[in-house]
Amino acid sequence: MAQEIIIPRLGWSMEEGTFVAWLKSEGDFVKRGDALFELEGEKATQEIEAVDEGVLRIPPTGPKPGSVHKVGAIIGYLVGANDSIPALANPLQQVNIEVVNEADSIVASPSVRQLARKVGVQLSQVKATGPRGRILQEDVHQAKVIFSENAQEPVISNVSIMSSQQVASPRARRLASSLGIDWRRLIGSGAGGRVRECDVKAASTNLPSHITTAGKAQRIPISKKRRLIAQRLVASRQLTVPVTLTTKADATNLVNLRNQFKSTNGTHPIPSFQDIITKLVAEVLKEHLFLAGRWEEDAIVLPGYHEMNIGMAVDTEDGLLVPVIRNVAGLTLRDVAAQSKSLVQQAREGKITAAQMQGGVFTITNLGAFGIDSFTPVINYPEAAILGLGAIRKEPVFLDDGQVVAQLQLELSLTFDHRIVDGAPAARFLQSLVSAIANPSAFLLGA
Amino acid sequence: MYRTREQVEEWKRKCPIASLRGRLLNEFGVDEPTLQSIESEIQSLVAESRAFAESSPLPDPSTAAMNVYAPVRKVAPCTRLIEGNDPTRNITFTQATHEALAEEMAVNPRIFVMGEGIGVRGGNFKTTAGLYDLYGPVRLCDTPISERGFVGLAGGAAMTGTRPVVDFMFADFILDSIGEIINQIAKMQYMSSGRLKMPVLLRGCIGIGHSAATHHSGSYYAMYAQVPGLRVVVPSNAYDAKGLMKHALRCDDPVMFLEHREILTIKCHVPTEDYEIEFGHAAIVREGKNVTVVALARMVHLTMSVCEQLEQEGISVEVIDPRTVSPLDTETILQSVAKTGRLLIVDEPPAPCGFASEIAAQIADAGFNDLDAPIRRLTGVFTPTPYSPPLEAVVVPTAVEIANAIRALVKE
Repeated sequence: MAQEIIIPRLGWSMEEGTFVAWLKSEGDFVKRGDALFELEGEKATQEIEAVDEGVLRIPPTGPKPGSVHKVGAIIGYLVGANDSIPALANPLQQVNIEVVNEADSIVASPSVRQLARKVGVQLSQVKATGPRGRILQEDVHQAKVIFSENAQEPVISNVSIMSSQQVASPRARRLASSLGIDWRRLIGSGAGGRVRECDVKAASTNLPSHITTAGKAQRIPISKKRRLIAQRLVASRQLTVPVTLTTKADATNLVNLRNQFKSTNGTHPIPSFQDIITKLVAEVLKEHLFLAGRWEEDAIVLPGYHEMNIGMAVDTEDGLLVPVIRNVAGLTLRDVAAQSKSLVQQAREGKITAAQMQGGVFTITNLGAFGIDSFTPVINYPEAAILGLGAIRKEPVFLDDGQVVAQLQLELSLTFDHRIVDGAPAARFLQSLVSAIANPSAFLLGA
Repeated sequence: MYRTREQVEEWKRKCPIASLRGRLLNEFGVDEPTLQSIESEIQSLVAESRAFAESSPLPDPSTAAMNVYAPVRKVAPCTRLIEGNDPTRNITFTQATHEALAEEMAVNPRIFVMGEGIGVRGGNFKTTAGLYDLYGPVRLCDTPISERGFVGLAGGAAMTGTRPVVDFMFADFILDSIGEIINQIAKMQYMSSGRLKMPVLLRGCIGIGHSAATHHSGSYYAMYAQVPGLRVVVPSNAYDAKGLMKHALRCDDPVMFLEHREILTIKCHVPTEDYEIEFGHAAIVREGKNVTVVALARMVHLTMSVCEQLEQEGISVEVIDPRTVSPLDTETILQSVAKTGRLLIVDEPPAPCGFASEIAAQIADAGFNDLDAPIRRLTGVFTPTPYSPPLEAVVVPTAVEIANAIRALVKE
């Protein structure tokens, strides 16, 4: 009888862990209490002991050192001496925000790597279609199209996954090494993304948002803003019962619609995908008001149609900010686009006021630009739900007749407060939103 | 071995040693015992020399590169302009080198000039104007158009203790005498273990401009800098030219002194006081923070002409003029690159194996960790110089190209 080996929860708030290494080898007989593998939680690395005994079997899709997995993920089995390895019911799902050194596993020719550098695409995020998993030039072009479609605004990323394609000048390397900065994590301003001395200097005056340190351990004082963000997130975790649902929407018409805007729009800002979805969400929320509700001591407060104030998570140098677009149901898409552009700019310039970040009934957060598919957004308390947007990717889809076609797909992650809404109504909201995204034009007439 | 037996016998009959001996006996009345005593003296000298050589230890390997040059004469450092008693005195490049030559000829009777049209005519580029009247035809010796002949003569004259100045007008024609220069003049100090000095000044005009075409536009300083034993001087202004020529006329090495024709009339301050500039000391023509540009001769002027504009664009350019290609002052360039992290070398001749290549290689080697961008070269086109003005204009780096190269380098 095979016993599953799973990623345990090391702390009450732990959602995922970083697999460090197996401490036993495939085929070893493991006794109860033997140290089996090392796992890094939020605070520390811990040796995980076996709770059963048997022969260790690690599936080929098993965890790699440094990969991040959700709590509960099955990473291997302990089996009887003669038992065979069970097939993993679901291939091991890895959390997408992983900082893995993928350079070794990427198969791409120098010319493809050069192209990737040139167009600013990270090979680790490119789907390979060549023989034996080789990344081809067209794969890079395809990835570039999808990423740029997704990029709502230029993004300053500190989650970006850099690999061997990153280059730095000798002078920058020297300075980085003397400051204890890992230049591979910096965004180069030089030709082809080369990290230059000025980038390292900028990073050294900008701890900790742009860099991670190599070598020495450091204590970074917690800023006021960081503390505030932390308090709000902790409050959300402690006071709500979050559940996350994920699903995929056909993004073909969404992309087409935006392309039409792009080709016809004059002086007005072109609505981003997020702008269009913000507008769709406001329309769909009218039929699913509890998703925009608020838990109070003695009542659940539902907004009026003119109070569909939707927040947008913005990554700034000072951390996460959530400015709010008011009365989205009453705005045209063009107004939504203009307001979101202005709010993002103000947020990034540090000019946003507290009033501009209050009164929201629902929040949208977008990690698509980073190549993230699905994730578990944290509810912006006291709101009832938050919608996470993933990357738009071309993916194989089965049609009713069994034919496989390539279709642009957008993954949605909805976290809702189970105190306010049950699973089924939340799922119905998501279902409505999926159909709105699949055919957005009709919904946009609503204003 | 290249001749038939009959030919060898015929030339043996013409042997000058045998015929001299016959004539001394028959025509000049020298007797046999006298000749024999001379011959035995020679034979014993040769035998002694051979015995000395064979009994001496083999040379110390550490001496393999000794006596390539004469010992360096240290002079007072002169890296900045000295004001002099008349700071308003501005003269041209040509006037400055003329002053240097005239002043040194006045104090050193061993200096004499050879070349075509440098006598009564005063030189094609006025290099010797008026000196014939002062020093006459022996010290201002007009030559026929036979470069190899008179350059060989200069080498021989230098070995006897004089200081020949060979004026080629156009440095392109130095090539007609290159065997004498590379095989004899440049090697003589080394071959004589420093016993013979070789103070030959070889001067001529280089550079592209004024449709002087293929045979009057060459700048071969990189090639000469590959020859051990030669000094190669390429000044960019009157002040440097005078100080460097003074040093050339006082040092014991053969010096290739190359004057860019397109900057001969450019004036700058030159003091009346005596000064000289030691070889191998670069001038920092302009101080800057963002990018180092190394250039020679006319390219220094073109580079300087764009620096103000670039400064307004926020690019601070440091300009370095090595002044001599051999010896080359890489230390000053390294210090500059340590500050700026960026290096552009602007050079008029084509790129391959050139001045810019040499600097790029040395800085990439010794200054690698100082570099924040690749080293860039901006050079002339790899072609003989065309005559037609529109063709000529595109084979040399221009001010616009230099400015763009600097802008691109800063963005690298």
